[in-house]
Amino acid sequence: MLRNPAHRVSPRAMVKWTIEHVIGGVVLTACSFGLAQWADQARWSWRFGWLPWTVAGVSLVLAAVVPYWRYRVHRWEVSSDVVYTQAGWLNREWLLVPVSRIQTVDAEQSWLERLLDLATLRISTASHEGSSELSGLPLTAATSLASELAARAHALRDDAT
Amino acid sequence: MRSETAPPAIDDVRRLDPRAWIVGAFREFAALIAVAVTALAIGGFGTGVYFALVALGFGVVHQAVRWLTFTYTVRTDRIELRRALVGRSVKTIPIERIRGVDITAGLAHRLLGLAVVRIDAAAGGDEGVLDAVSRREAMRLRTLLLPSGADPEDHVLARAESAWLRYAPLSGAYLLTPFALAGSALGTLYNLGDEFGLISTGTMTHLGDRVVGLPRGLVLAVFAVLVLAMPLASVVVFALFNWDFTLRADGPGSVVAERGLLTRRTVTLERRRIRGVELRDNPLERVAGVVRLTALVTGLGDAEHRGTLFPTAPRSAALAVAAEVTGPRPGPLVPHPPAARTRRLTRAVGPPLALAAVALFTGPSWLAVAALLASVAAVPLGLDRHRQLGHATDGFRLTFRSGSLTRRQQIIEHPAVVGWKLRQSLFQRRAGLATLTVAVGAGGGAYDALDLAAEDALRLAGTVTPGWVTPFLADRRPEA
Repeated sequence: MLRNPAHRVSPRAMVKWTIEHVIGGVVLTACSFGLAQWADQARWSWRFGWLPWTVAGVSLVLAAVVPYWRYRVHRWEVSSDVVYTQAGWLNREWLLVPVSRIQTVDAEQSWLERLLDLATLRISTASHEGSSELSGLPLTAATSLASELAARAHALRDDAT
Repeated sequence: MRSETAPPAIDDVRRLDPRAWIVGAFREFAALIAVAVTALAIGGFGTGVYFALVALGFGVVHQAVRWLTFTYTVRTDRIELRRALVGRSVKTIPIERIRGVDITAGLAHRLLGLAVVRIDAAAGGDEGVLDAVSRREAMRLRTLLLPSGADPEDHVLARAESAWLRYAPLSGAYLLTPFALAGSALGTLYNLGDEFGLISTGTMTHLGDRVVGLPRGLVLAVFAVLVLAMPLASVVVFALFNWDFTLRADGPGSVVAERGLLTRRTVTLERRRIRGVELRDNPLERVAGVVRLTALVTGLGDAEHRGTLFPTAPRSAALAVAAEVTGPRPGPLVPHPPAARTRRLTRAVGPPLALAAVALFTGPSWLAVAALLASVAAVPLGLDRHRQLGHATDGFRLTFRSGSLTRRQQIIEHPAVVGWKLRQSLFQRRAGLATLTVAVGAGGGAYDALDLAAEDALRLAGTVTPGWVTPFLADRRPEA
């Protein structure tokens, strides 16, 4: 198989993922609570009283486990001509994008990432599927990597597409 | 006609053909005329007719003004489309970014010897349309804008035989087109009629009475006739779009596909932008030994239709064309491991079986029976989906094949690859499988090889682009 890429993402990414999980969990729990209330009033033969509790429980477990798990898996590496990333938790994904085929490199920050001083690097090629997303990098690393990659892609660029 | 070897330094400023505005006016207001005539027939000489006539007058003036204010110029390095009425707009398309020049001619255009030229440029779907110029001018523009080398000779690469029309009913798409067309025509009529006040509750209930009043047997008979007519209708529709499909080499640099019965359509594809082909067939077509062939082209909008290299043709003919535009098909295909069969079977049988289980306890019994039957039928489907899986490379091109009800095989040139994605779900990891996605900057953008042995996936990617994969291989596998 493929070896692990050399670098981990920033440990602060775990905080980001946890907060995202908590927000998602709260929203889902609220929705399922609403559904359960509605089912009670509509006098369905099905009862959904257990649903909000289950959703809340599962969300809590996921929020506790998944960020650390992701942190163990998510890795990245930029060699002289390839950007190599590994992502996922239950399902894994490896992406190899050659620098010579890169069209644009963007460093982006969501509100959460701004609070945590993190950034997401978006590397796109002529194909949507061949476009890579590196999230959870420290902001300084992301911006310097973006400008470096853009410069190298420009130098190496061939007219493949 | 093609004596000029190099484009002139600056072409003169030209207008569209004067006959173009007649076609434009006629086409845009054919519907209005139809409404006016209907209004005349139903309600006598009323307001509806006046409205239609006034709109028609405006339309003709509009078309004439459009014609007067639009000019185009070909320069050494670009074509400029200029529109100057109150404001001015100039659209400039650099010749080096032009990826295709399509020439279409509808029935009216053909009668007047006109054609619409559509200039396709870059990836943003940016295109220039010249509606319409004379057929000679269209040809001249094509040679100017797509310089295809010194060799002006057209030679036919492939031509569909009219006997192949009998394959049309096999591809499901054309079976339903007549109904889709009838539906959209009815919808348009209703909307137009509604706008001109022809449709009132009175007329509608009248119509309803008539339909409901018809004997049930007659309605059934009409429906049966429609269904029986489907294969015939599909042949007709297929012929409308694909009549006399001809593929020509236009010099060494491009390929020209021409087709259509009433509307004759010409698509020019630059060879260096054709990065591969896709062969598609369904089980019926496999039995008949025919296949549909599409080119995977860089930056082509509406590629599904415009990239067509053969609407439907016997395998040998299609493969010959595929070999002509990309090269021979790599083979034999490496089958995917038995673990992949288990996965295909689970995926095919699982959902209907789960539905059957749920329906058995809570749902109606007919649903449970139907779901059970569906899961039985899914077994051969799953087996076939595994049998069709395969991949191969010959050092220059790689090929993936998958699917059963629609089987697709892509042949992709190695230099067109812009990246690799390897995916492993939990179950795939335990079965030692992986899904390899090749990202290409042409066609659909990415193609999957489902459930390869993980080692095979890396071997394949490593063969195609050794420099991108081998540095990242683990020296030795930690676990067996």
